[in-house]
Amino acid sequence: MTHTLHRLGNSESLRHDIVFTYMPSNNINHVGSAPKLRKFLEICRDLGAIKIGDTRKGNEYVQGSLENMLNNIEDRAVVEAVFDNEIKAINALKAIKEADLGLSLVVSGLFEQTRECCRKAGLNMHTVNQSLGIWGRTDKLPEKRGILELNTMCGHGMVSVSFIEYAVKKIKTGKWTPEKAAENLFKCCVCGIVNTTRAVEILKELSEEKG
Amino acid sequence: MLINSELCIGCEKCNPYCPVGAIYTDASEKVSKIDLTECVECGSCLRQANCPVDAIYQQELVWPRTIRSIMSDPLTITEESGIAGRGTEEMKTNDVTGRFRNGYVGVGIEMGRPILGAYMSDVEKVTKAVAAYGVVFEPCNPLTTLMSDQTSGKFQNELLGEKVLSTIIEFTVPINRISGIIKILKDVSKQIDTVFSLGFISKLDSDEMFPLNHILDEFGINYAPNGKTNVGLGRPLFKEKGELV
Ligand code: SF4
Ligand code: SF4
Repeated sequence: MTHTLHRLGNSESLRHDIVFTYMPSNNINHVGSAPKLRKFLEICRDLGAIKIGDTRKGNEYVQGSLENMLNNIEDRAVVEAVFDNEIKAINALKAIKEADLGLSLVVSGLFEQTRECCRKAGLNMHTVNQSLGIWGRTDKLPEKRGILELNTMCGHGMVSVSFIEYAVKKIKTGKWTPEKAAENLFKCCVCGIVNTTRAVEILKELSEEKG
Repeated sequence: MLINSELCIGCEKCNPYCPVGAIYTDASEKVSKIDLTECVECGSCLRQANCPVDAIYQQELVWPRTIRSIMSDPLTITEESGIAGRGTEEMKTNDVTGRFRNGYVGVGIEMGRPILGAYMSDVEKVTKAVAAYGVVFEPCNPLTTLMSDQTSGKFQNELLGEKVLSTIIEFTVPINRISGIIKILKDVSKQIDTVFSLGFISKLDSDEMFPLNHILDEFGINYAPNGKTNVGLGRPLFKEKGELV
């Protein structure tokens, strides 16, 4: 699954969007991986991740609470942590390296920033997945960049265009704050990887636009 | 997914959650309904709308409609990959699997993403085009297992009318064949009625640079400044022949 690969945005905005994905590999190191996955999430949560999530069983809302989510992690889960701050991400990388849990870690974000984070945490970039954009009938996509940026924050496309438009309308009419709207977008992304800090900024811009 | 018209009170709470706009209001009956041709069985309306009268329900899915759920509902765990979602472990565990070696490129063509979704007939146009170039599709990928002939990229005919939110065509080619793949994708992208998001996977060269950038530049392909990086923390670390680490 390409998941966090195709997040659209300008470099300034993406600078505040760093997502870690942590997972075991089938038949190599998946047996007994559940406590390691949980430990990873606890490290990230304690060091300032704004969101943590579990792709296998669903985010904190799908599972009823953050505690349930942590308790229900299974071997072979894929778990995530979202950071909006480079320093916190570097500290988490150092702690994960130190914990030496032995599962695979993927860092999603600006490549030059990832390079710098890895250097500071004493890690090396091993394999890279590069997005080469959208091909085909791009004329059928929404024109507003902000809508595409919010939609692509969920790798499974669960943050629908109509729900983004609905949220913008709610902000414009004063029924939702941008923060509440961002949290509601997060709920739709069952893996829990919507960056709510970035989403707030994009929602504010969209709700200030005319029309 | 279906809505029980007897129960629905037409509050329209569920409508905005649908990623493909399949939920509509029947003006005469004053209830919401689901267009089953468009519905990709992603489960979002059922999970998120919190229907006040529990009118939304999952009907029993039968083949070939089941593939909509496999490819569109992130919480469906597929047999082939053993993980939730529509893809595979791909580069996320490459530090321990060694699936992508030096000199090779992993190609991921995510059909229907973003937003539009894809009919399997469009997916087949792309699989056939790359198959004709001799690629070998990733065996663990659920889409590969749906092909009736993996050498031609053909699917069973009964699948072609199914619509999915997205599905990933995955294969690996030697770096010297990537230009040919780009040419094919440029061409076939004009023949489909949807979009795909394209991703290339590669190990980094000795100075930590992505070895494909000069090829992408040659074709005038814009690559995003962001993406995914496996940082090599998995154990035991896969060693290629001659590698010291
Ligand atoms: S949320 Fe429930 S009651 Fe409201 S329109 Fe949808 S199905 Fe009908
Ligand atoms: S299951 Fe998904 S695609 Fe189908 S109606 Fe519900 S939200 Fe729309």
